[in-house]
Amino acid sequence: MMDSRFYQIFTDWYLIAISFLLIVGIFYFLKLPNHLKVSKIFWFPFLILVFTVIYENMGGYLKYNFEFNKLVNAALGNEENPTYNVWLFNIGYYQIGTILYLFLIKNWLVPSKKKYINWLVFVFIVLVIAIQLLGIEPIYTSQPIIFAIGANMILVGSGLYFIGLITEDNYLNSNPFKLLSFWQMTFILFTYSLTYINSVALLYLWNINKELAISLMQINRVLGVINLSLLVLWVASPKLTNIFETEPYYHGSI
Amino acid sequence: MEASEDQIYVIIFATIFLGGIMSTFVISMVFIHRQRQAQNRQKMDQIKSEHEKTLLNIENEIQQETLTYIGRELHDNIGQLLSLAKLNFGSIKPEKQSEGKEILSQAIQEVRGLSKQLNLDWVETLSINEFVAQQLARIQNTGFCETSLEADFELLDLPKDQKLVLIRVIQESLNNAIKHASPETIQIRIHESGNVKRILIKDDGRGFDASQDSQGSGMFNLRKRMETIGGQFELSSAIGKGTEITLTLPN
Repeated sequence: MMDSRFYQIFTDWYLIAISFLLIVGIFYFLKLPNHLKVSKIFWFPFLILVFTVIYENMGGYLKYNFEFNKLVNAALGNEENPTYNVWLFNIGYYQIGTILYLFLIKNWLVPSKKKYINWLVFVFIVLVIAIQLLGIEPIYTSQPIIFAIGANMILVGSGLYFIGLITEDNYLNSNPFKLLSFWQMTFILFTYSLTYINSVALLYLWNINKELAISLMQINRVLGVINLSLLVLWVASPKLTNIFETEPYYHGSI
Repeated sequence: MEASEDQIYVIIFATIFLGGIMSTFVISMVFIHRQRQAQNRQKMDQIKSEHEKTLLNIENEIQQETLTYIGRELHDNIGQLLSLAKLNFGSIKPEKQSEGKEILSQAIQEVRGLSKQLNLDWVETLSINEFVAQQLARIQNTGFCETSLEADFELLDLPKDQKLVLIRVIQESLNNAIKHASPETIQIRIHESGNVKRILIKDDGRGFDASQDSQGSGMFNLRKRMETIGGQFELSSAIGKGTEITLTLPN
């Protein structure tokens, strides 16, 4: 009985797809020469990939291990809806995920613009802590305000990247279609904009029309798989030099 | 129920709308990137062609200068040597004959030396320090003024285009000093401060009001030429206080 539930949860196409991407990512990461393994151009996308696949699978596990989920919800102060595993996605996707993607964007910015990302991350962390401590958006329920702030910061980061793309000589000398950063940025932009309304109105939709909420969440999942595939491509990019060009700006600290 | 259905439509349309805006944004960025890339390429081609034109002009000017020098040498030096040799060979005295041979050998040596300067191959073999020393020696030999060269290092291994521009700018700066300043001394210092290499050309001549320097002047051309190789040209002068030119070499 338990096994069939486990099977049902973990044979979901999304979890299978991202777990497969993690295996491919690990394979290519292990094949990287040592000097590239320590370069943040490769380990940072790999870190996001590992982190995302872990929390997504953890989300599935929480659906399977209801008792554990109930325990965590109770510890966080949620006894009303013990089946919700939204706390995990709040931490993983809305909060840490946003910070990781902001740092990823920072890698592709011209050195003079990197400081803006540091400020965005700092302001985001302060706001997230304040909103949660003030009880405006508890961690165990949907956090539309925090998502909206994070999504707007990602949009600002994207704006900085695209400004660099059309003004900096190094980017102007490249073909954007051959830049992994361009594709990753485009899909980050699409992910955050297409899921914007959905994420902000998630709880409302869940109560009003669960089917539609699940359907709209598929956009999230499809774009999530595309984003993770691009992260795998970053790790595999030393083997794909005939397809992708070298990124013009990736120096500077994280 | 109807209200909530409307709200669902709003959510769907808002999502599609945001997606549309983002698509338009990315497509616009690609379009602008392409346009700017084309403009950038055009600008780079223009800079490259201007650079090539400048180098060609400089080569022509150096050759012109060399031809003038050769003409002068043929008339004042080799011509004189050959006349002297002719006089000596006309004599029946054996010592005059042998003196004539020596003079002729000297003339042959001079002709060989001059012939080497007819093409620009010497630019590649000569260092800037050697070139400056030669130029100063020539000025000093004419008795026009005293010259001195101080060099902290030997300027070797410069790319040909940089060398050509430097040679021409130094040549023109020295010509200007001789033509317009009537100095008693001309000093050249090749020095380095930090990572920056500089050539300082200083004379104690008449000087001029540097604020009157117009765009049409030769100084403007010299500045522009230094900029084409990524260097800098600075000039300071005052009436009665001589002129100082600083050439900053590209890194």
